[in-house]
Amino acid sequence: MSEPADVIVIGSGPAGVSAAVPLVEAGRRVLMIDGGDDDVTPAGAPWRQMLGDDLEALRPDDGLTPKWRTPEARRTMGAFKRYSAIDEEDFLGVGALARGGLSRIWGGFVGELDAEELSDWPITAAELRPSYAAVVDRIGVSGSGDDDMAESYGAAGTLLAPPPLGPTAAAIIARYAAAPRDPDFALGRARNALITADLGARRACDLRFACLWGCPRGAIYDARQDVALLRQRANFALRERATAVRLARRDDGWEVTTTHGHRLRAARLIVAAGTLGSLRLVAPLIDPPPATLPLLNSPVMAMPLVVPRRLGGKMPAHGHSLAQLGFRLRCSAAPGDHVSGAVYEVAGLPASSFAARMPFGRRAGTEIFRALAPALSVATLYFPGRYSANTVSLRYGDGGVRIHVRGGVADGFDALARTVRRRLARIWRRLGAFALPGAALAIAGTDAHLGGVFPLGAAAPHGTSRFGELNAAPGLHIVDGSVLPTIASTFTTLTIMANADRIGRHLAGIG
Amino acid sequence: MPQRLVVTGASGYIGARLVERARRSGCEVVALGSRPAASDVPSIPWRLGEPPPLTVFADATAVVHLAHDWSSDRANGAGPGNANLEGAEALARAAREAGVARFVFASTTSARREALNAYGKVKIAIEERLKALPGSEGRIICARIGLVYGGPERAMYGQMSKLAGLPVLPMIGLDREVQPIHVDEVCDGLLALALDPPAGRHTVVVAGPVPVTFGNWLRTLRRARHGRRLRLIPVPIGFALMACDLSKAIPFVPTVGRERVLGLAGAAPMASAADLAALGLHLRDPARTLQATPVARRRLIAECRAMLRYVTGTRLRSPGAVIRLARVVQRDPASGRALPGLAVRWPALLRLLEPVRPDMQHGLSRRLHLAAMVAEVLPPPSQPDRAWWRTIASQLVLEGLALPFRLFLGSLAA
Repeated sequence: MSEPADVIVIGSGPAGVSAAVPLVEAGRRVLMIDGGDDDVTPAGAPWRQMLGDDLEALRPDDGLTPKWRTPEARRTMGAFKRYSAIDEEDFLGVGALARGGLSRIWGGFVGELDAEELSDWPITAAELRPSYAAVVDRIGVSGSGDDDMAESYGAAGTLLAPPPLGPTAAAIIARYAAAPRDPDFALGRARNALITADLGARRACDLRFACLWGCPRGAIYDARQDVALLRQRANFALRERATAVRLARRDDGWEVTTTHGHRLRAARLIVAAGTLGSLRLVAPLIDPPPATLPLLNSPVMAMPLVVPRRLGGKMPAHGHSLAQLGFRLRCSAAPGDHVSGAVYEVAGLPASSFAARMPFGRRAGTEIFRALAPALSVATLYFPGRYSANTVSLRYGDGGVRIHVRGGVADGFDALARTVRRRLARIWRRLGAFALPGAALAIAGTDAHLGGVFPLGAAAPHGTSRFGELNAAPGLHIVDGSVLPTIASTFTTLTIMANADRIGRHLAGIG
Repeated sequence: MPQRLVVTGASGYIGARLVERARRSGCEVVALGSRPAASDVPSIPWRLGEPPPLTVFADATAVVHLAHDWSSDRANGAGPGNANLEGAEALARAAREAGVARFVFASTTSARREALNAYGKVKIAIEERLKALPGSEGRIICARIGLVYGGPERAMYGQMSKLAGLPVLPMIGLDREVQPIHVDEVCDGLLALALDPPAGRHTVVVAGPVPVTFGNWLRTLRRARHGRRLRLIPVPIGFALMACDLSKAIPFVPTVGRERVLGLAGAAPMASAADLAALGLHLRDPARTLQATPVARRRLIAECRAMLRYVTGTRLRSPGAVIRLARVVQRDPASGRALPGLAVRWPALLRLLEPVRPDMQHGLSRRLHLAAMVAEVLPPPSQPDRAWWRTIASQLVLEGLALPFRLFLGSLAA
């Protein structure tokens, strides 16, 4: 590609590739800055996959999701931890400086925002819809189009057939189909970016329970797959192992300085470094640089369930460990005030993580877990971002921005969470599943559903236009989660991608 | 042409190791006197005090004189009749006459005139005699070697290893400072002195740069080998000497020579950092190095096997899993004290030892968690034949039975 590019995209995660695809297709010259490189998930003996070549993943998972101690997660998030300079207080700053960003380790759970959830947005569901459809078709989504969750998950794009349901999830949904409907609660098949039919170079899921350790077939969508496709285009270039450290406006556009001291220029800049990464890059451009910025997240809770009918049953020999079922429970009549969640089976998840949380010795914990496992599942529930109350303070120095994040929840949230848990426990009971003690709210940020930093449509200097253009810096568009004006309880990744696609199309049109 | 070394005492603790390392680095070695066992090193019969055959020195670059006649110390003390004195001097003279460029004498950090034992007195006397030889400048080097550990459990190291195996050890000189150095580091130092010595040094201290008390050294040995604490009881030297004599009479107790006890009582540290730097030696941390000794390794493997057996409830047929766990436990700074021997033999006893309140950051809970993680990488165990509720009920009963003991242990720890 001949220099200079028309557009520089900072970040190779789901947002970056989603913005780049329509631009590249429209013939624009796009230069993507990628903090990672062409590392591939290595194949090898199971223990290498699960514990790492140097056994680096052999460590307790610190009470969080077992996913984050996997070698793949460490490859994905390690460099970000070293670089990010974030001081955390009751908060876990999740980010990636690896090709593909957090999509390398995401859960693949997708759903569109409905009109209610978009009510505080400066854009309508109709405006987003073509982008949702483009993204769903590009990444490959499997699920059911005609159950009670189908409507809230949306109908954009073409759905692939869902993979076979796990036995415990099947037992729950069979009861649900037979029970009278609760107007506040809906349950259906989960919708996952998991392909059940080959798509390009990606192979359909073969149900080997390898999800947690990095799917060797590429059946779970991962932005690296799109980066590989983009690289085949002549008008796309990738700058690997380059981390943007400074953005500056020049007469003819924007200049990005990388860690290696390279200066790259383009008329327009698309920032897709992930919410925390973009926060750090963009905040110094606002005049005067803000001492605080808003940050939303989606408080998340896990709820272990046991389905007595399944006790003594067989563990499934095949399957996946992504979400089996999706559900939604309304909290209040306010628009978008509902919790969303997913039900996972425990086959394919590490038993040690469960046994460690049981109030028994290790041997008893393992044996009891094994005896219960065929009947166990875990529900995760996400609350809307309005219930988060985080404080971000920024200090500017020679070494860049120092970010301090204090995580928290809004007043009254604890009572709400208790009520929701009680209501859900009652609902599960009707569906033949019993909530075990030990439901716990995760530390803020664990959800990785961050946003609300540079809200679309906000008039303040840190706000952005409806196309993500920073009010304080024309020509700079932010396309990742940081521009979402609200964080819905519905998983945000698909929406981030659709929004980035929408902004990319807009920029492709205006040249 | 390869450099040629003449080594005396080549079958000894240091000598055998030195020969091996010298040959690996491309030197030719001739053993003067006894030959290291199971080695094809050419050797020439000789005893300390005899005139050496001059042919042995042909084309030799250096002589490394390690041999020491302990019987002569016992018979003659540090007096002039000691064969070590004459022997060393005669050897040095012969080497010079044959045109050997360097003569390295293995001395000790306890070499001083006021030493309590004959060994220290003899070594200093040899040093002085060698120094007085004509043309000794730049040709004769005395290496004052510290407390040598590592490698095969022989000599002083062998004795200390045995002592550290006892649960309670009455010992003298616990607050004396010693300067541990690994046998391989000593060999590297001696080789450097023989082949490419730093200029202008007549004596060189080849010993640990940071002295540790003898008591702490024994504790380090015990922790590394047995993973436990060592209870030391300080003993006045008179009693110790009596005990030495008694130990010869009592079966199954390691015997300890008076000489060694007196050597300990008389040692004092010598500055070694500058000499080590001149020799290009960077010493390893003894505590960490000792962890890799075969005995410590065997204990670790046995513990890891026991923990895996406990968490899985089956005898694992995967040596790989045991080795992986050992690798992680060994390098994990938070993994804590060793398991009791009984629990290693009967892993089910670990149920009694687990803390009631698990702490993933420390100790046994953490190691068992690591073991569980290692185990789950293996193919899953076949589904139990027992009904699920029987499994749960029996585990709950066992947990209930173990709980009082675990609470008791927890209160002890607190």
